[in-house]
Amino acid sequence: MTVAQKELLDLRRDRLFAVLVSFLTAVTLISVAVGAVAFRSQLDAYNLYVADVAASGSGVAPAAPQLFPLQLLRGGIEYLEILGALFAIVLGYGTIAKEKHRGTLQLFLSRPVSRFAFAGGKIVGLALVWLIVVLLITAVSTLAVVTIGGGAVTGTDLSRLAIEAGFVWFYLVFWTALAIGLTALTARLSTGLIVALVIWLAFVLVIPQIGDTMHPDNQVPGGLFAALQIKKPDELAVLAQFAGFDGIRNGLEVSSVTKHFERLSFAFLGIKDQYNQQPIQVVWAAMLPSAITLTAATFASVIFALAATTRRTLQRKQS
Amino acid sequence: MSVFVTSARQEMLSVRRARIAHLLLAVFLGMVSVSSIIGWVTTTTVTKVYDRILADELTTAPNPFTSIPALYYARNSVIYVVLIGALMAIVLGVQATLRDRKSATTSLILSRPVRTTARLSGQLAGLGIVILTVLAISTFISWAAISIITGALLGPDATIRLIGFAACAWLLLMVFAVTGMVAGIYSKRETTALLVPFVLWSALAFVLPQLGTAARPVALLNPVPIPLPTGGYFDLVSAITGPLSVTEQFKRAASILLQDNNVTGDPLLSVVILIAFFIVAATVVVLTPRRRLRSALDN
Repeated sequence: MTVAQKELLDLRRDRLFAVLVSFLTAVTLISVAVGAVAFRSQLDAYNLYVADVAASGSGVAPAAPQLFPLQLLRGGIEYLEILGALFAIVLGYGTIAKEKHRGTLQLFLSRPVSRFAFAGGKIVGLALVWLIVVLLITAVSTLAVVTIGGGAVTGTDLSRLAIEAGFVWFYLVFWTALAIGLTALTARLSTGLIVALVIWLAFVLVIPQIGDTMHPDNQVPGGLFAALQIKKPDELAVLAQFAGFDGIRNGLEVSSVTKHFERLSFAFLGIKDQYNQQPIQVVWAAMLPSAITLTAATFASVIFALAATTRRTLQRKQS
Repeated sequence: MSVFVTSARQEMLSVRRARIAHLLLAVFLGMVSVSSIIGWVTTTTVTKVYDRILADELTTAPNPFTSIPALYYARNSVIYVVLIGALMAIVLGVQATLRDRKSATTSLILSRPVRTTARLSGQLAGLGIVILTVLAISTFISWAAISIITGALLGPDATIRLIGFAACAWLLLMVFAVTGMVAGIYSKRETTALLVPFVLWSALAFVLPQLGTAARPVALLNPVPIPLPTGGYFDLVSAITGPLSVTEQFKRAASILLQDNNVTGDPLLSVVILIAFFIVAATVVVLTPRRRLRSALDN
């Protein structure tokens, strides 16, 4: 616990950490604001169209676009996916690197401490830090949705946000623990950081990007099926005949923990139309595989960090 | 031998010896190599999807993939330059200037009659050659892959366009390499040196385009352009943020050069913006004061 407390104290004083959290909060706010402006533009265009229809006296106006407040958080979730993971890696790396640079590691290891005291303390400390950050970002995002976005947040919405905050916390702890393990394992500190960044690049950006790019509907602006004026049931019926291709595409996506996090977030926040306004139990039932994968990946990452951060690996070689 | 040439050669040698640089270069080349295959597999499947829709009499619209140019298969490379290439360039740039500070060889080098402009421009030239070599290899791989896929060697026009795309990619990657060099010179800690250009990259690649177009970060990783909203706010903000979104300018120029039907216009303005970014960034690094180079790291 002493290690964890020291970690909390260090990060409270760390200006870099404050800058990163501020940046993450700022981009979340920006995405809510831009999303709200885009919705208003859509509404203006709709009102103009309705006025034209009424003036010409022909036809029935289509249904007005409806604001689902939690959908305004989509950009913020994507930032957490990309930048949150990046900052989590930096934090995990930094916690090992600072001890080595300051020479406090040798002092710590000269004491009679247990096998998992150092790594366990670091992980607990950083997990607590992430919990505070996630609660802060969730509170700010909710406030932004209500004030900037002009949306009404219900009790059910708050439950969805609380579940989502839990997933964000798991996701960030996953990356931090992974970075701790990699930094401990590599002889040169910067190598640990860069290897973690390469993994981040592959699993956060490249693999989901390939899966996304391969989707038939993402081949033309606005969507292939919309361009061909195909209705949703027909789209699904046609795609069912290309199950092999979709299996490969989906296989690529599910190999990335980021994609599981994204699917969970989009389902619980109703960003994905299929799950919008669905009862939470229904969403849980559908999203159970992704929830299990994210949880298992986080535990695996923590165990990896605990196993890799030994007295031998930490003392092996100073950079 | 001049300081410029020696510094350039030393930079190339250092990259050749750095295993981590090899890893990044391998990832970049690997992804560019498979991007044409991904493009081909996807296009073939989507054409089959269209044929099925047509057979089921669900549409009368023409196939959007009829007579696509051969270079269409290289469009994923544009995204890999922005993603992997930019991050590779940042790491190379940071390591170039941080290496001397970490090993405390800067003072030794500057104790000789060495002009900092010659030293830094030499390092920059060395990085430029490394990036040029990587892009030359990736361009050749793309050229060969597309030729195999289409069953015919790419003609002179397509080859020139591919080279033009590589030239634009070089400009963009040099902007990020220089950003990395600046961070390596000015940062007090190694972590900050790597992190600051990464944050800057994310701001340029995701935040700026989102401000003016409401494009979500993940949507920006798809080579297919998103339908842009119009109206007072978006027209005004995109006019300001558009020229500053260097990655979007690169994507625009590259898409036009690679004959992507979804993007039209003249790539000249985007290329000019890329050149301007490169000149400004290079000037900042080359004019670094001597005392700044001598500053030690905190860790």
